[in-house]
Amino acid sequence: MSGNVAHAVPRTGWIGSRTDAVREQARRHIEIVSTRDQRKARPRTVYALLIVGALFAVLMSQLLLSIGLSDGAYAIQGLQQQQRELSRTQQVLTEDLERLSSPQNLAANAQALGMVSNAAPVYLRLSDRAVLGAPVAATADAGAAPLVGNVLLSGVAVAAAGSAAEQSATDDTAASTPPVTGADGIPVTGMGSGAAATDADGVPESGLPTPITR
Amino acid sequence: MLTIAIVLGIFVVKLVDIQVVQADEINADALDKRSIPNLTFGVRGNIVDSDGVTLADSVLRYDVTASPRDVRDFTRYSTTASGVAVETDVTWPEAAAEIAAETGQTAGEVQRIIADKLAADPDSNHAYLARGIDTEAYRALVQLGIPGIYFEAVQSRTYPNGQVAGNLVGFVGSDGAPQAGLEYTENDCLQATNGSETYEKGADGVRIPGSTVTEKQAEDGNELVLTIDRDLQWFTQQAVAEQAQAVGAPWGVATVQEVKTGKLLAVADYPSVDPNDVNLTEEQYRGSRVFNSPYEPGSTFKSVTAAALVDAGLANAGTHVLAPYRFTKDGASLRDSFGHPDLPLTLAGVLAESSNTGISILGERMPTADRFDLITDLGVGQRTEVGFAGEEPGIVPDHTSMDVQTKYATMFGQGLATTAAQVSSIYQTLGNDGVRMPVQLVEGCRTADGEWISQPTGEPRQVISARAADETVHMMETVVTDGHFGDTLVIPGYRVAAKSGTAQVSDGSGAYGSNYLVSMAGVAPAEDPEYVVTISLANPTTMKSSAAAAPVFQKIMSQVLKTYRVPPSSVPSPNLPTTY
Repeated sequence: MSGNVAHAVPRTGWIGSRTDAVREQARRHIEIVSTRDQRKARPRTVYALLIVGALFAVLMSQLLLSIGLSDGAYAIQGLQQQQRELSRTQQVLTEDLERLSSPQNLAANAQALGMVSNAAPVYLRLSDRAVLGAPVAATADAGAAPLVGNVLLSGVAVAAAGSAAEQSATDDTAASTPPVTGADGIPVTGMGSGAAATDADGVPESGLPTPITR
Repeated sequence: MLTIAIVLGIFVVKLVDIQVVQADEINADALDKRSIPNLTFGVRGNIVDSDGVTLADSVLRYDVTASPRDVRDFTRYSTTASGVAVETDVTWPEAAAEIAAETGQTAGEVQRIIADKLAADPDSNHAYLARGIDTEAYRALVQLGIPGIYFEAVQSRTYPNGQVAGNLVGFVGSDGAPQAGLEYTENDCLQATNGSETYEKGADGVRIPGSTVTEKQAEDGNELVLTIDRDLQWFTQQAVAEQAQAVGAPWGVATVQEVKTGKLLAVADYPSVDPNDVNLTEEQYRGSRVFNSPYEPGSTFKSVTAAALVDAGLANAGTHVLAPYRFTKDGASLRDSFGHPDLPLTLAGVLAESSNTGISILGERMPTADRFDLITDLGVGQRTEVGFAGEEPGIVPDHTSMDVQTKYATMFGQGLATTAAQVSSIYQTLGNDGVRMPVQLVEGCRTADGEWISQPTGEPRQVISARAADETVHMMETVVTDGHFGDTLVIPGYRVAAKSGTAQVSDGSGAYGSNYLVSMAGVAPAEDPEYVVTISLANPTTMKSSAAAAPVFQKIMSQVLKTYRVPPSSVPSPNLPTTY
């Protein structure tokens, strides 16, 4: 349509006039050749798989971790419940122990066993078997009624009463042993024996003395 | 194709609505559902004696609450021993009886609580059935599995030794607030700090791991260590109670104090409160009269006058005085407690015979101002360092304005008032070569790691010369050996120095009535005093003299010497002459 104007001056030797062979040759020469680096940098399937695998592993481990964590939460819950129960038990037992070891209870049990307190301070010094102080026999009237109350002990029976009766019925050895009434043959030191009285803590100088059975 | 697009569109709109438009609201709702604010409790510290024996312990108790609107008959599923499942129908009255059996109420009481609540508000969801039940009852009730019954754990206090040291330890109210004694004054040491935390829980109530945010850590209270020995305290209380009942005294007190340190080892009151059940004791006996009830000490105070005279060089143990039965001067008139002809006594003899006239004649040698300076130096008129709850300072009259009668009366312990703790401190000073140690009841406040946070401070003070103090102790030995008490004060093997007191008790209207406060105070062993024992019995009815106090003094002192393994005296007594 407008070819008349465009092609007014015919060109000579334009490229299209070359032979096919030449063209083919020329095309081969300008082919893009990837460099060694480019070839190396090309993504490979194995890497892709690796990444996906790693991602999967991460997700899996995260899942497992949170399963483990939740499982631990239940374990903790269970153990805490157990701990609460145990500390309740401990509290009950501690209260019992403290109540039973109160002096009122111990005194009541001692009295039930027939024990009386001896007011006279007398010591036996093991190192030289000296008796410090003036021994006097205890009197039975020392066991007065308990006047220091403890409402926690109401309802607590005197444990010693029953076992004392049992003990005296079955234990022949204890019954046949004569009660110690005096300290014959053992020097009694009291006031005035200065040297003897200085070490009354009863620390034996050469271990415990061997008991002598007569 | 179009359908899919529409459905997808609806989903997208809903998603945007939930995730963007309502997001905040829904998130907040969700957090509310699973987020639990939680108050964490610190435990109030224990009070222990000098050996670490527990005197006051913190325990958990349980309040039983009910939701009245949810209380109804129910079916209980249980398994018999042979493994057969059993269903039992339990009616509410039956359940109420089961509850009552554990809480110590009657079934009627339990039912009435619920009925009353429902009558007031049919939709009521909270009522206390029982408060402060112990762990065993709590466990039994949980086992019953009654619907509508819930439990609240509450902090509580228990005092395993009952009345032993109950006068000192004090008690806390049902709300846990300290009300008396050391629980009250040492609250800073004992009290715990509650903490707070928030955590999230799943649908089944399990705490979501890692969701706990602690806003404030709960802190346990510290341990309060006393100087008291629990067993000696018991013995002392028992001894005082026995004697008070024997002589008909409405109240009595006793103290045991260590001479070298000023530490109180036993502080006994009769009657004494059992902090586990305060209501068993009359209100006036719920504190410690050792600190809170000043009284005219009477003749136990003669030792102070004697020590003052010796200290000032105005007299010594051998100073002669001819003591008449009656003594009048400048309008003052006084007499001895027993009729006698003029007695030729030494100052030691004045103490042994407890002669009011003798001590007045000799006491005159000293300017009143000087004597009162010493009385004040000895701690009379000021609260002791203990600072016990409700402690009284005692009364020292103004010596510049008092009458002549009071001038003489104060020489033998009338006309002024001391607490038993102050009398103990005076004898501690005499026994400790005149050095007054601060009176100490609390060893200190200790953390769980055994670290001391605070310990009482105070400086020893030389109040009188060592020579005067020793000489006074030796003079007081004659009270035991030559006095009116026969063998009742003697502890074989030991030298004991003591002074008796039979003080007239004011009748409250400015005159002396027929009541007496009988007392005994002393130290042992006299050659190097280690322990002070004081005992006072108020208004005895069957025996109105210090002879009522002597045997119990001897008993307590013997026990103290045994407890602390004091060897018998090795130096003979100087046996000061009492007459000339």
